[in-house]
Amino acid sequence: MKWYEYVDSDRPGVISSRVRLVRNLDHCVFPAKLSVKENEEMIRRLEYGLQDIGSVDGRNYQFSMLQDMSDLERKSLRERHVFNSTIASRKSPVGLILSDTEDCGIILGGTDHIRIQILSSGLCLEKLWEDCDKMDDYIGERFPYAFDEKYGYLTSFPTNVGTGLRASVTIHLPNLSKGKKFSGLTAEMGRFGAKVWGIYGEGNENYGSLYEVSNQKTLGLTEKEILDLVNRLALQLLSQENQVRKLALEKHRLECEDEAYKSYGVLKYARRLSSKDAMVFLSQLMQGIHDHILVMEEPCPVYRLMLGIQPANLQKDSSRPLSKEELDVERAAYIRAALPDLKQ
Amino acid sequence: MLCERCKIREANIQYTEVIGGVKTEHHFCAQCAKELDFGPYSAIFDTDFPLGKLLSGLLGVMGSDEQEEKETPQIVCPTCKTSYEEFIKDSRFGCPDCYGVFDLLITENMKQLQGSDTHKGKRPRGLQKIKPVPVVVSARGAETASGTDAEQIQSFEQKLKEALRLEDYETAARCRDEIRRLREGSAAE
Repeated sequence: MKWYEYVDSDRPGVISSRVRLVRNLDHCVFPAKLSVKENEEMIRRLEYGLQDIGSVDGRNYQFSMLQDMSDLERKSLRERHVFNSTIASRKSPVGLILSDTEDCGIILGGTDHIRIQILSSGLCLEKLWEDCDKMDDYIGERFPYAFDEKYGYLTSFPTNVGTGLRASVTIHLPNLSKGKKFSGLTAEMGRFGAKVWGIYGEGNENYGSLYEVSNQKTLGLTEKEILDLVNRLALQLLSQENQVRKLALEKHRLECEDEAYKSYGVLKYARRLSSKDAMVFLSQLMQGIHDHILVMEEPCPVYRLMLGIQPANLQKDSSRPLSKEELDVERAAYIRAALPDLKQ
Repeated sequence: MLCERCKIREANIQYTEVIGGVKTEHHFCAQCAKELDFGPYSAIFDTDFPLGKLLSGLLGVMGSDEQEEKETPQIVCPTCKTSYEEFIKDSRFGCPDCYGVFDLLITENMKQLQGSDTHKGKRPRGLQKIKPVPVVVSARGAETASGTDAEQIQSFEQKLKEALRLEDYETAARCRDEIRRLREGSAAE
Protein backbone atom coordinates (compact mmCIF):
# COMPACT_ATOMS: atom_id res chain seq x y z
CA MET A 1 0.00 0.00 0.00
CA LYS A 2 1.36 3.42 -0.93
CA TRP A 3 1.52 6.09 1.73
CA TYR A 4 -1.15 8.25 0.09
CA GLU A 5 -3.73 5.46 0.16
CA TYR A 6 -4.16 5.68 3.91
CA VAL A 7 -7.11 7.69 5.16
CA ASP A 8 -6.60 9.59 8.39
CA SER A 9 -10.05 10.00 9.85
CA ASP A 10 -8.85 11.54 13.15
CA ARG A 11 -7.84 14.80 11.57
CA PRO A 12 -9.44 14.96 8.15
CA GLY A 13 -8.19 18.45 7.33
CA VAL A 14 -4.58 17.29 7.26
CA ILE A 15 -3.59 15.61 4.04
CA SER A 16 0.07 14.82 4.51
CA SER A 17 3.32 15.66 6.28
CA ARG A 18 6.74 15.78 4.71
CA VAL A 19 10.30 16.14 5.96
CA ARG A 20 13.15 16.81 3.55
CA LEU A 21 16.83 16.91 4.38
CA VAL A 22 19.61 18.14 2.12
CA ARG A 23 23.21 16.95 2.57
CA ASN A 24 26.46 17.20 0.66
CA LEU A 25 29.62 15.17 0.70
CA ASP A 26 32.72 16.67 2.22
CA HIS A 27 35.59 17.40 -0.19
CA CYS A 28 33.37 17.16 -3.23
CA VAL A 29 32.07 20.02 -5.34
CA PHE A 30 28.30 20.32 -5.69
CA PRO A 31 26.55 18.42 -8.54
CA ALA A 32 26.15 21.49 -10.77
CA LYS A 33 29.94 21.79 -10.96
CA LEU A 34 30.54 18.11 -11.66
CA SER A 35 30.76 16.74 -15.19
CA VAL A 36 28.24 14.13 -16.31
CA LYS A 37 30.84 11.42 -15.79
CA GLU A 38 31.83 12.67 -12.33
CA ASN A 39 28.18 12.89 -11.34
CA GLU A 40 27.64 9.32 -12.46
CA GLU A 41 30.65 8.13 -10.50
CA MET A 42 29.50 9.95 -7.39
CA ILE A 43 26.02 8.41 -7.67
CA ARG A 44 27.45 4.92 -8.20
CA ARG A 45 29.69 5.37 -5.18
CA LEU A 46 26.74 6.42 -3.02
CA GLU A 47 24.55 3.66 -4.41
CA TYR A 48 27.21 1.06 -3.64
CA GLY A 49 27.70 2.35 -0.10
CA LEU A 50 23.98 2.47 0.58
CA GLN A 51 23.01 -0.98 -0.67
CA ASP A 52 21.86 -2.01 2.77
CA ILE A 53 19.86 1.11 3.46
CA GLY A 54 16.75 -0.98 4.08
CA SER A 55 18.33 -2.19 7.33
CA VAL A 56 17.78 1.27 8.82
CA ASP A 57 14.00 1.20 8.78
CA GLY A 58 12.99 -2.18 7.36
CA ARG A 59 11.59 -0.64 4.20
CA ASN A 60 12.14 -2.22 0.79
CA TYR A 61 14.23 0.00 -1.43
CA GLN A 62 14.74 0.08 -5.17
CA PHE A 63 17.55 1.89 -6.90
CA SER A 64 17.06 3.55 -10.27
CA MET A 65 18.47 6.27 -12.49
CA LEU A 66 16.08 8.99 -13.60
CA GLN A 67 17.73 9.01 -17.02
CA ASP A 68 16.69 5.40 -17.60
CA MET A 69 13.05 6.25 -16.97
CA SER A 70 10.57 7.45 -19.56
CA ASP A 71 9.51 11.07 -19.49
CA LEU A 72 6.05 9.94 -18.40
CA GLU A 73 7.38 7.88 -15.51
CA ARG A 74 9.41 10.85 -14.24
CA LYS A 75 6.41 13.17 -14.52
CA SER A 76 4.11 10.78 -12.69
CA LEU A 77 6.65 10.42 -9.86
CA ARG A 78 6.81 14.19 -9.66
CA GLU A 79 3.03 14.39 -9.47
CA ARG A 80 3.18 11.93 -6.58
CA HIS A 81 5.67 14.28 -4.88
CA VAL A 82 8.64 11.90 -4.93
CA PHE A 83 10.74 14.78 -6.24
CA ASN A 84 10.22 18.29 -7.53
CA SER A 85 10.15 19.58 -11.09
CA THR A 86 13.76 20.84 -10.94
CA ILE A 87 14.96 17.30 -10.35
CA ALA A 88 12.49 15.83 -12.85
CA SER A 89 13.84 18.01 -15.65
CA ARG A 90 17.54 17.66 -14.81
CA LYS A 91 19.72 16.75 -17.75
CA SER A 92 22.67 15.28 -15.84
CA PRO A 93 22.45 11.91 -14.06
CA VAL A 94 20.23 11.65 -11.00
CA GLY A 95 19.91 8.55 -8.83
CA LEU A 96 16.79 7.60 -6.92
CA ILE A 97 16.50 5.20 -3.99
CA LEU A 98 12.79 4.78 -3.38
CA SER A 99 10.89 2.62 -0.93
CA ASP A 100 8.13 0.46 -2.43
CA THR A 101 5.53 2.42 -0.47
CA GLU A 102 6.92 5.61 -2.07
CA ASP A 103 7.09 7.34 1.29
CA CYS A 104 10.86 7.42 1.67
CA GLY A 105 12.94 8.63 -1.23
CA ILE A 106 16.60 9.55 -1.51
CA ILE A 107 17.74 11.59 -4.47
CA LEU A 108 21.42 11.35 -5.36
CA GLY A 109 22.96 14.11 -7.43
CA GLY A 110 20.05 16.55 -7.74
CA THR A 111 20.83 20.14 -6.81
CA ASP A 112 22.72 18.66 -3.86
CA HIS A 113 24.53 15.34 -3.47
CA ILE A 114 21.92 13.81 -1.17
CA ARG A 115 18.28 14.69 -0.59
CA ILE A 116 16.32 12.55 1.85
CA GLN A 117 12.55 12.90 1.89
CA ILE A 118 9.95 11.10 3.95
CA LEU A 119 6.23 11.57 3.40
CA SER A 120 3.22 10.32 5.27
CA SER A 121 -0.49 10.92 5.43
CA GLY A 122 -1.73 12.76 8.51
CA LEU A 123 0.07 15.13 10.84
CA CYS A 124 3.24 13.44 12.07
CA LEU A 125 6.27 15.65 11.51
CA GLU A 126 8.05 14.44 14.63
CA LYS A 127 7.80 10.79 13.69
CA LEU A 128 9.00 11.58 10.18
CA TRP A 129 11.94 13.52 11.57
CA GLU A 130 12.92 10.57 13.76
CA ASP A 131 13.04 8.35 10.70
CA CYS A 132 14.83 10.97 8.65
CA ASP A 133 17.35 11.57 11.43
CA LYS A 134 18.21 7.87 11.57
CA MET A 135 18.57 7.71 7.82
CA ASP A 136 20.78 10.79 7.93
CA ASP A 137 23.05 9.26 10.60
CA TYR A 138 23.31 6.05 8.63
CA ILE A 139 24.40 7.85 5.46
CA GLY A 140 26.62 10.27 7.37
CA GLU A 141 28.54 7.40 8.96
CA ARG A 142 29.41 6.04 5.55
CA PHE A 143 29.93 9.31 3.69
CA PRO A 144 31.28 12.25 5.68
CA TYR A 145 29.15 15.34 5.15
CA ALA A 146 30.24 18.87 4.34
CA PHE A 147 29.69 20.56 7.68
CA ASP A 148 30.84 23.95 8.91
CA GLU A 149 30.98 25.09 12.53
CA LYS A 150 29.31 28.36 11.67
CA TYR A 151 26.96 27.56 8.79
CA GLY A 152 26.11 23.97 9.70
CA TYR A 153 25.40 21.57 6.83
CA LEU A 154 26.57 23.17 3.60
CA THR A 155 24.24 23.18 0.61
CA SER A 156 24.19 24.41 -2.98
CA PHE A 157 21.62 27.07 -2.24
CA PRO A 158 22.00 29.47 0.68
CA THR A 159 18.26 28.99 1.30
CA ASN A 160 18.87 25.44 2.57
CA VAL A 161 22.05 25.87 4.58
CA GLY A 162 22.26 25.04 8.30
CA THR A 163 19.86 22.26 9.12
CA GLY A 164 19.07 21.56 5.45
CA LEU A 165 15.61 20.77 6.76
CA ARG A 166 12.32 21.62 5.11
CA ALA A 167 9.27 20.44 7.02
CA SER A 168 5.89 20.81 5.43
CA VAL A 169 2.29 19.92 6.06
CA THR A 170 -0.40 19.86 3.39
CA ILE A 171 -3.81 20.93 4.63
CA HIS A 172 -7.26 21.34 3.13
CA LEU A 173 -8.67 24.85 3.58
CA PRO A 174 -11.80 25.11 1.43
CA ASN A 175 -13.58 27.66 3.62
CA LEU A 176 -10.78 29.76 5.00
CA SER A 177 -9.24 30.26 1.56
CA LYS A 178 -12.49 31.73 0.23
CA GLY A 179 -12.43 34.50 2.82
CA LYS A 180 -11.13 37.95 2.08
CA LYS A 181 -8.68 37.80 4.92
CA PHE A 182 -6.91 34.72 3.63
CA SER A 183 -4.20 36.49 1.65
CA GLY A 184 -3.46 38.62 4.69
CA LEU A 185 -3.26 35.49 6.79
CA THR A 186 -0.80 33.80 4.46
CA ALA A 187 1.29 36.96 4.26
CA GLU A 188 1.43 36.99 8.03
CA MET A 189 2.89 33.50 8.01
CA GLY A 190 5.99 35.03 6.48
CA ARG A 191 6.57 36.93 9.67
CA PHE A 192 6.83 33.67 11.55
CA GLY A 193 9.30 32.37 9.01
CA ALA A 194 6.83 30.10 7.27
CA LYS A 195 5.31 29.96 3.82
CA VAL A 196 1.82 28.96 2.76
CA TRP A 197 1.12 28.26 -0.88
CA GLY A 198 -1.57 26.62 -2.99
CA ILE A 199 -0.47 23.31 -4.44
CA TYR A 200 -2.62 23.05 -7.56
CA GLY A 201 -3.68 25.80 -9.91
CA GLU A 202 -2.01 28.89 -11.25
CA GLY A 203 -1.75 32.42 -9.99
CA ASN A 204 -4.44 33.30 -7.52
CA GLU A 205 -6.56 30.30 -8.38
CA ASN A 206 -6.21 27.14 -6.40
CA TYR A 207 -8.15 24.10 -7.55
CA GLY A 208 -8.81 21.77 -4.67
CA SER A 209 -7.98 24.19 -1.83
CA LEU A 210 -4.90 22.25 -0.79
CA TYR A 211 -2.22 24.36 0.82
CA GLU A 212 1.27 23.55 1.95
CA VAL A 213 2.74 25.14 5.08
CA SER A 214 6.52 24.96 5.29
CA ASN A 215 9.44 26.63 7.05
CA GLN A 216 11.32 29.28 5.10
CA LYS A 217 14.40 29.49 7.26
CA THR A 218 16.81 26.64 7.72
CA LEU A 219 19.62 28.33 9.64
CA GLY A 220 19.73 29.50 13.24
CA LEU A 221 16.91 27.21 14.37
CA THR A 222 17.16 23.71 15.73
CA GLU A 223 15.36 20.93 13.87
CA LYS A 224 12.85 20.69 16.69
CA GLU A 225 12.11 24.41 16.53
CA ILE A 226 11.44 24.12 12.80
CA LEU A 227 9.12 21.14 13.25
CA ASP A 228 7.26 22.88 16.07
CA LEU A 229 6.82 26.03 14.04
CA VAL A 230 5.32 24.27 11.02
CA ASN A 231 3.20 22.03 13.24
CA ARG A 232 1.86 24.98 15.20
CA LEU A 233 1.03 27.09 12.16
CA ALA A 234 -0.68 24.21 10.37
CA LEU A 235 -2.82 23.51 13.43
CA GLN A 236 -3.59 27.20 13.78
CA LEU A 237 -4.80 27.43 10.18
CA LEU A 238 -6.84 24.27 10.62
CA SER A 239 -8.52 25.48 13.76
CA GLN A 240 -9.53 28.69 11.98
CA GLU A 241 -10.78 26.65 9.04
CA ASN A 242 -12.88 24.52 11.36
CA GLN A 243 -14.38 27.58 13.01
CA VAL A 244 -15.44 29.02 9.67
CA ARG A 245 -16.85 25.67 8.64
CA LYS A 246 -18.78 25.25 11.85
CA LEU A 247 -20.42 28.60 11.29
CA ALA A 248 -21.29 27.71 7.71
CA LEU A 249 -22.84 24.42 8.82
CA GLU A 250 -24.89 26.12 11.51
CA LYS A 251 -26.23 28.83 9.27
CA HIS A 252 -26.35 27.17 5.86
CA ARG A 253 -26.72 23.48 6.53
CA LEU A 254 -28.89 22.88 3.47
CA GLU A 255 -26.44 24.57 1.08
CA CYS A 256 -23.55 22.61 2.55
CA GLU A 257 -25.39 19.31 2.14
CA ASP A 258 -26.49 20.25 -1.35
CA GLU A 259 -22.94 21.04 -2.40
CA ALA A 260 -21.57 17.79 -1.00
CA TYR A 261 -24.23 15.61 -2.65
CA LYS A 262 -24.01 17.44 -5.96
CA SER A 263 -20.24 16.95 -6.02
CA TYR A 264 -20.65 13.28 -5.26
CA GLY A 265 -23.24 13.00 -8.00
CA VAL A 266 -21.05 14.66 -10.62
CA LEU A 267 -17.99 12.62 -9.68
CA LYS A 268 -19.98 9.38 -9.62
CA TYR A 269 -21.73 9.85 -12.96
CA ALA A 270 -19.86 12.40 -15.11
CA ARG A 271 -18.43 11.14 -18.40
CA ARG A 272 -15.90 13.93 -18.86
CA LEU A 273 -14.04 15.90 -16.22
CA SER A 274 -11.38 18.54 -16.70
CA SER A 275 -8.54 18.60 -14.21
CA LYS A 276 -9.81 21.82 -12.67
CA ASP A 277 -13.43 20.63 -12.30
CA ALA A 278 -12.36 17.31 -10.87
CA MET A 279 -10.15 18.99 -8.28
CA VAL A 280 -12.93 21.37 -7.24
CA PHE A 281 -15.52 18.58 -6.88
CA LEU A 282 -13.07 16.30 -5.07
CA SER A 283 -12.33 19.11 -2.65
CA GLN A 284 -16.08 19.50 -1.97
CA LEU A 285 -16.39 15.75 -1.62
CA MET A 286 -13.56 15.77 0.91
CA GLN A 287 -15.38 18.45 2.84
CA GLY A 288 -18.66 16.50 2.74
CA ILE A 289 -16.95 13.41 4.15
CA HIS A 290 -15.23 15.54 6.77
CA ASP A 291 -18.59 16.95 7.90
CA HIS A 292 -20.14 13.45 8.00
CA ILE A 293 -22.68 14.57 5.43
CA LEU A 294 -21.47 11.91 3.03
CA VAL A 295 -21.08 8.48 4.57
CA MET A 296 -19.68 5.85 2.29
CA GLU A 297 -19.65 2.08 2.30
CA GLU A 298 -15.88 2.09 2.71
CA PRO A 299 -13.26 4.77 3.42
CA CYS A 300 -12.71 6.96 0.38
CA PRO A 301 -9.08 8.01 -0.15
CA VAL A 302 -9.86 11.36 -1.77
CA TYR A 303 -6.23 12.45 -1.81
CA ARG A 304 -5.26 9.32 -3.70
CA LEU A 305 -7.84 10.29 -6.30
CA MET A 306 -6.43 13.81 -6.47
CA LEU A 307 -2.99 12.38 -7.24
CA GLY A 308 -4.38 9.77 -9.59
CA ILE A 309 -6.19 12.24 -11.86
CA GLN A 310 -3.07 14.30 -12.61
CA PRO A 311 -2.18 14.06 -16.33
CA ALA A 312 0.93 11.88 -16.18
CA ASN A 313 -0.61 9.44 -13.71
CA LEU A 314 -3.72 9.04 -15.87
CA GLN A 315 -1.65 8.73 -18.99
CA LYS A 316 0.67 6.07 -17.67
CA ASP A 317 -2.11 3.47 -17.43
CA SER A 318 -2.98 3.94 -21.08
CA SER A 319 -1.18 2.13 -23.86
CA ARG A 320 -1.19 5.13 -26.23
CA PRO A 321 -0.84 8.90 -25.85
CA LEU A 322 -4.14 10.55 -24.96
CA SER A 323 -5.39 13.92 -26.19
CA LYS A 324 -6.74 16.46 -23.72
CA GLU A 325 -10.35 15.40 -24.44
CA GLU A 326 -9.49 11.73 -24.02
CA LEU A 327 -7.75 12.53 -20.75
CA ASP A 328 -10.96 14.16 -19.50
CA VAL A 329 -12.92 11.01 -20.36
CA GLU A 330 -10.25 8.85 -18.71
CA ARG A 331 -10.30 11.05 -15.62
CA ALA A 332 -14.07 10.74 -15.19
CA ALA A 333 -13.84 6.97 -15.64
CA TYR A 334 -11.01 6.70 -13.09
CA ILE A 335 -13.00 8.57 -10.46
CA ARG A 336 -16.24 6.68 -11.19
CA ALA A 337 -14.49 3.38 -10.70
CA ALA A 338 -12.78 4.38 -7.46
CA LEU A 339 -15.66 6.15 -5.72
CA PRO A 340 -17.39 3.90 -3.15
CA ASP A 341 -21.18 3.85 -2.93
CA LEU A 342 -23.00 5.99 -0.38
CA LYS A 343 -24.37 4.25 2.67
CA GLN A 344 -28.14 4.03 2.41
CA MET B 1 -5.37 31.28 -26.21
CA LEU B 2 -3.82 33.34 -28.96
CA CYS B 3 -2.72 36.92 -28.47
CA GLU B 4 -5.63 39.19 -29.36
CA ARG B 5 -3.36 41.68 -31.10
CA CYS B 6 -1.15 39.59 -33.40
CA LYS B 7 -3.30 36.43 -33.31
CA ILE B 8 -0.16 34.41 -34.00
CA ARG B 9 1.61 33.83 -30.72
CA GLU B 10 0.26 32.27 -27.55
CA ALA B 11 -1.02 34.91 -25.11
CA ASN B 12 0.78 34.72 -21.80
CA ILE B 13 0.01 38.11 -20.35
CA GLN B 14 -3.40 38.87 -18.97
CA TYR B 15 -4.13 42.56 -18.64
CA THR B 16 -7.21 43.68 -16.75
CA GLU B 17 -8.33 47.22 -17.35
CA VAL B 18 -10.84 48.93 -15.08
CA ILE B 19 -12.21 52.17 -16.48
CA GLY B 20 -15.11 53.81 -14.71
CA GLY B 21 -15.94 50.58 -12.94
CA VAL B 22 -16.08 48.61 -16.19
CA LYS B 23 -13.66 45.69 -16.21
CA THR B 24 -12.20 44.47 -19.49
CA GLU B 25 -9.75 41.63 -19.87
CA HIS B 26 -7.08 41.51 -22.55
CA HIS B 27 -4.74 38.73 -23.51
CA PHE B 28 -1.45 39.55 -25.16
CA CYS B 29 1.75 37.76 -26.00
CA ALA B 30 4.94 39.09 -24.46
CA GLN B 31 6.07 40.69 -27.70
CA CYS B 32 2.88 42.64 -28.31
CA ALA B 33 2.71 43.63 -24.66
CA LYS B 34 6.13 45.11 -25.04
CA GLU B 35 5.03 47.20 -27.99
CA LEU B 36 1.86 48.43 -26.32
CA ASP B 37 1.84 51.32 -23.94
CA PHE B 38 0.86 50.36 -20.42
CA GLY B 39 1.97 53.63 -18.92
CA PRO B 40 3.95 53.16 -15.74
CA TYR B 41 3.74 49.36 -16.00
CA SER B 42 5.50 49.15 -19.35
CA ALA B 43 8.81 48.37 -17.71
CA ILE B 44 7.50 45.00 -16.59
CA PHE B 45 7.39 43.78 -20.19
CA ASP B 46 10.92 44.79 -21.00
CA THR B 47 12.70 41.57 -21.75
CA ASP B 48 15.40 42.15 -19.20
CA PHE B 49 13.21 43.12 -16.32
CA PRO B 50 14.86 41.26 -13.48
CA LEU B 51 11.80 39.96 -11.65
CA GLY B 52 13.45 36.62 -11.15
CA LYS B 53 16.67 38.14 -9.95
CA LEU B 54 15.40 39.36 -6.65
CA LEU B 55 17.36 36.88 -4.58
CA SER B 56 20.49 37.51 -6.60
CA GLY B 57 19.99 41.22 -6.12
CA LEU B 58 19.69 40.83 -2.39
CA LEU B 59 22.75 38.66 -2.23
CA GLY B 60 24.87 41.15 -4.13
CA VAL B 61 26.81 43.41 -1.83
CA MET B 62 26.51 46.35 -4.15
CA GLY B 63 23.31 48.09 -5.19
CA SER B 64 21.90 47.92 -8.66
CA ASP B 65 24.05 50.79 -9.81
CA GLU B 66 26.10 49.54 -12.72
CA GLN B 67 29.10 51.64 -11.91
CA GLU B 68 29.31 50.04 -8.50
CA GLU B 69 28.73 46.58 -9.84
CA LYS B 70 31.88 46.76 -11.86
CA GLU B 71 33.83 47.23 -8.68
CA THR B 72 32.62 44.01 -7.11
CA PRO B 73 35.75 42.19 -6.00
CA GLN B 74 36.76 39.32 -8.25
CA ILE B 75 37.02 36.56 -5.68
CA VAL B 76 37.19 33.02 -6.97
CA CYS B 77 36.84 29.85 -4.93
CA PRO B 78 40.09 27.94 -5.48
CA THR B 79 38.38 24.54 -5.23
CA CYS B 80 35.53 24.83 -7.71
CA LYS B 81 36.44 28.05 -9.54
CA THR B 82 33.11 29.69 -8.74
CA SER B 83 33.59 33.44 -8.77
CA TYR B 84 31.74 35.66 -6.37
CA GLU B 85 29.96 37.23 -9.34
CA GLU B 86 28.81 33.82 -10.49
CA PHE B 87 27.54 33.06 -7.01
CA ILE B 88 25.53 36.29 -6.98
CA LYS B 89 24.12 35.56 -10.42
CA ASP B 90 22.92 32.01 -9.69
CA SER B 91 22.38 32.42 -5.94
CA ARG B 92 24.17 29.14 -5.47
CA PHE B 93 27.49 27.89 -4.22
CA GLY B 94 29.76 25.61 -6.22
CA CYS B 95 31.25 23.56 -3.41
CA PRO B 96 31.49 23.38 0.40
CA ASP B 97 34.66 25.49 0.35
CA CYS B 98 32.79 28.44 -1.19
CA TYR B 99 31.27 29.14 2.21
CA GLY B 100 34.71 29.72 3.70
CA VAL B 101 35.99 31.69 0.74
CA PHE B 102 32.98 34.03 0.53
CA ASP B 103 32.34 34.01 4.28
CA LEU B 104 33.12 37.65 4.91
CA LEU B 105 31.08 38.80 1.94
CA ILE B 106 27.99 36.73 2.61
CA THR B 107 27.59 36.79 6.36
CA GLU B 108 25.38 39.90 6.35
CA ASN B 109 23.25 38.61 3.48
CA MET B 110 22.92 35.31 5.20
CA LYS B 111 21.50 37.09 8.22
CA GLN B 112 19.00 38.89 6.01
CA LEU B 113 18.02 35.75 4.17
CA GLN B 114 17.91 33.35 7.08
CA GLY B 115 17.54 35.65 10.06
CA SER B 116 20.76 34.23 11.47
CA ASP B 117 24.24 33.25 10.38
CA THR B 118 24.94 30.57 12.93
CA HIS B 119 23.84 26.96 12.86
CA LYS B 120 22.11 25.71 16.00
CA GLY B 121 20.80 22.33 14.95
CA LYS B 122 22.09 18.83 14.54
CA ARG B 123 25.77 17.99 14.02
CA PRO B 124 27.15 14.98 12.21
CA ARG B 125 27.51 12.10 14.61
CA GLY B 126 31.08 11.59 15.75
CA LEU B 127 31.95 15.20 15.03
CA GLN B 128 32.56 16.68 18.46
CA LYS B 129 31.98 20.29 19.20
CA ILE B 130 35.27 22.14 19.14
CA LYS B 131 36.40 22.40 22.72
CA PRO B 132 39.62 23.76 24.18
CA VAL B 133 42.23 21.01 24.14
CA PRO B 134 45.86 21.01 25.25
CA VAL B 135 48.31 22.81 22.97
CA VAL B 136 48.93 21.09 19.68
CA VAL B 137 52.08 22.16 17.97
CA SER B 138 51.57 22.37 14.26
CA ALA B 139 54.11 21.52 11.63
CA ARG B 140 54.02 25.12 10.55
CA GLY B 141 54.71 26.16 14.10
CA ALA B 142 56.22 29.53 13.35
CA GLU B 143 53.12 30.65 11.57
CA THR B 144 50.65 29.20 13.99
CA ALA B 145 49.67 31.02 17.09
CA SER B 146 50.06 28.60 19.94
CA GLY B 147 47.01 27.86 22.04
CA THR B 148 44.05 25.55 21.86
CA ASP B 149 42.63 24.29 18.60
CA ALA B 150 39.66 26.56 18.92
CA GLU B 151 41.90 29.58 19.39
CA GLN B 152 44.06 28.57 16.50
CA ILE B 153 41.04 28.16 14.30
CA GLN B 154 39.84 31.55 15.31
CA SER B 155 43.15 33.13 14.53
CA PHE B 156 43.24 31.42 11.14
CA GLU B 157 39.72 32.56 10.43
CA GLN B 158 40.81 36.12 11.06
CA LYS B 159 43.81 35.70 8.85
CA LEU B 160 41.56 34.23 6.18
CA LYS B 161 39.25 37.20 6.31
CA GLU B 162 42.13 39.62 6.18
CA ALA B 163 43.70 37.75 3.26
CA LEU B 164 40.41 37.82 1.39
CA ARG B 165 40.09 41.50 1.97
CA LEU B 166 43.56 42.02 0.51
CA GLU B 167 42.72 39.57 -2.27
CA ASP B 168 45.69 37.44 -1.27
CA TYR B 169 44.17 34.13 -2.27
CA GLU B 170 47.25 32.05 -1.75
CA THR B 171 47.31 32.89 1.95
CA ALA B 172 43.54 32.52 2.11
CA ALA B 173 43.65 29.01 0.70
CA ARG B 174 46.46 28.07 3.12
CA CYS B 175 44.44 29.38 6.06
CA ARG B 176 41.40 27.48 4.89
CA ASP B 177 43.35 24.22 4.68
CA GLU B 178 44.85 24.89 8.10
CA ILE B 179 41.37 25.46 9.58
CA ARG B 180 40.10 22.29 8.01
CA ARG B 181 43.09 20.33 9.31
CA LEU B 182 42.56 21.65 12.83
CA ARG B 183 38.84 20.91 12.73
CA GLU B 184 39.41 17.40 11.52
CA GLY B 185 42.08 16.96 14.15
CA SER B 186 39.77 17.94 16.96
CA ALA B 187 36.95 15.87 15.52
CA ALA B 188 39.11 12.79 15.48
CA GLU B 189 39.92 13.06 19.14
